[in-house]
Amino acid sequence: MIKQKKLIVSHAPFIHNGSKISIKNYHIMLAALPALLAGIYYYGIQAVGVIGLSISFSVFWELAFNLIAKSEKRIGDGSSAVIGVVFAMMLPATAPWWIILIGTFVAIIIGREIFGGIGSNPFNPAVLGIAIIALSWKEYFDFNQALINFDMDFNMFYPLAALKSFGASSISSISVFDLMLGKQAGAIGAVFGIGIIIGGLYLIAKGIIRWEICFSFIAGIFLTSMTFAMFAPTTYAGPFFHLFTGYTLLGIFFLSPEDSSSPVNKMPMILYGLGCGILTILIRNIGVYADGILYAILIMNIINPLIDKIKPKAFGKV
Amino acid sequence: MREMIKMVLVLTILSSFSGGLLAALKNGTQEKIEYQELQNVKGPAIEKILEGCENDPIVDRFKVADGEQERSFFVGIFDGKPKSIAFETYGKGFAGKVGVIVGVNLEDGSMLGAQVTTHNETPGVGSKAQDDPSFVSQFANKTVTDSFGVKPDGGNIDAIAGATITSRGVCMAVTEAGEIYKRLKPEIVKQLEKFNK
Amino acid sequence: MAKSIAYEFGKGLWKEIPPFRLVLGLCPVLAVTTSLQNGVGMGLATTFVLVCSNILVSMLRKVIPSKVRIACFIIIIATFVTVVELLMQAYAYTLYLQLGIFIPLIVVNCLVLGRAEAFAYKNPIIHSLSDGLGMGIGFTLSLGALGAVREIIGSGELLGYSVFGSSFKPFTFLIEAPGAFVCLGLMLAIMNLASKK
Repeated sequence: MIKQKKLIVSHAPFIHNGSKISIKNYHIMLAALPALLAGIYYYGIQAVGVIGLSISFSVFWELAFNLIAKSEKRIGDGSSAVIGVVFAMMLPATAPWWIILIGTFVAIIIGREIFGGIGSNPFNPAVLGIAIIALSWKEYFDFNQALINFDMDFNMFYPLAALKSFGASSISSISVFDLMLGKQAGAIGAVFGIGIIIGGLYLIAKGIIRWEICFSFIAGIFLTSMTFAMFAPTTYAGPFFHLFTGYTLLGIFFLSPEDSSSPVNKMPMILYGLGCGILTILIRNIGVYADGILYAILIMNIINPLIDKIKPKAFGKV
Repeated sequence: MREMIKMVLVLTILSSFSGGLLAALKNGTQEKIEYQELQNVKGPAIEKILEGCENDPIVDRFKVADGEQERSFFVGIFDGKPKSIAFETYGKGFAGKVGVIVGVNLEDGSMLGAQVTTHNETPGVGSKAQDDPSFVSQFANKTVTDSFGVKPDGGNIDAIAGATITSRGVCMAVTEAGEIYKRLKPEIVKQLEKFNK
Repeated sequence: MAKSIAYEFGKGLWKEIPPFRLVLGLCPVLAVTTSLQNGVGMGLATTFVLVCSNILVSMLRKVIPSKVRIACFIIIIATFVTVVELLMQAYAYTLYLQLGIFIPLIVVNCLVLGRAEAFAYKNPIIHSLSDGLGMGIGFTLSLGALGAVREIIGSGELLGYSVFGSSFKPFTFLIEAPGAFVCLGLMLAIMNLASKK
């Protein structure tokens, strides 16, 4: 077993502000808090259970893998816990325990550990986990069905599914402000738009995620959805609707800027974000799936090493 | 030069030996294979569609030329008269062709039913088209010459959950069956007289 | 040069078990192992081809010129594959339907050509026979194991019988093609872990 990793120097630029991995991870968890608290407020104790299970299973899988592979135990740095938090944010509050168990297994073991642990994962582990279990157990990820037993003081339905089956007229009654406040059916950490934006801005201010990715992601969504809405306003929804429904904001601030699966240079970061945004809307508008965020991010994760090759030419070099 | 001749010789002998063996085997198994094919692939579906017929539809079959193709039709005899036929068409599924057998009552052109025969669809998802009777039963008693489509496309058939593409393929096949039926009806009627005893 | 016959037979079962150790013949391994029955059926078909081609190649190893040996191997292998295909069509038609295109694809299975080239061309007949048999059985076992795991978890059944009862929600991802890769990888990892101690 290789105890010590070789020091691999990747190409410039390097970003360092003296922080440690664990501190970075605690910042991310802190940033997730507003959205999570809103989720708990809306869905009650069930949501707390899902979040708790998700975090503990994630840490458990990493520890189990470390024991079996006899590698260095580093659950203390909180990176598995962050995956657990982000994973829980994408789950409906009604998710059963075994879905969380298998989902975190896919996220931690298949998504990250077998590629070499923290910093080596080609995909965002949480996205991979959710994508695979959402593919296997569609009925639990049909937010209309899953959340049918919650009685709220607002119209409880999953806006993207409505858009997919009934066209833009069915969602015209929803105001953007209601969506931002979380008055929609959806995943625990994905309904309260304002909270996610606050968390995201906090992370950008702390320098943990890069604004280039987030903003170009938003730009991609705006450009594509506006083009669609311009040509067929009755079938396609406008950009603000797309921004505040489904996993969009989560994708922008928590999923796509994940360290090892996103680019490090400025131009590639912008391309990466744009690609995510464009693919998201394309999948939502002309694809089969109601929400395209997961697949858009996974696809851009694969392309990431390629676009990261675009870098500035050294001055004077021909 | 010697080596050259040897190479040619060895390859020639090997190929002719192989060809001979295969030709013999093919001749020997041909009949068995054709019977197996009808029995296993189409047999159960035909039996379900022509339920209660007095003959063995796999024995009572005839072929009609349709353009460059030949199509097989299976005859179902009810009350001593060849009233119904069953034949196979194909639609495009999620993974290759989906074969559908359609049974038609010649008197009013209504469908006795449709059954999926061959497919390569995902087990447990697309394969429901074959295993789940509630999907294909939607075709029963509809007029064969209508055009069919799944509901998400604005059609009249409920798609199987999670297998819209397969359902669409089945609808395509049944729609095509209607066209074939329209095209070949005179010929079919002529052929059926043979079975009218 | 030649080791004992028992060794040649036994190495295919664990030490050089084809899909896991040699990582050969992955196309059918991934494609047809959606159920135990398919996996074992494919494994047996491959075993038959492997044994026959190994014997014939070993018999003719003095005659076949080395420059055209690959062409000769392919002719021999293709012959036996067609034999299997015809026999399967005649006597095990349902299995033939399940395996479909992957039967003719045994021709290009690296494992068969690999054993002919790497082993049978250099070793006496008995050794080649036991090598082919060992490798074939190893291949069948691995396909069966992979098929069983995928069938149990991916569709909740084994050989058509429900394993966990109706409340079990199958992990359908494992039935899909990417699930095959993940499952194979995990089994490989477990095997490496087990043999390391």
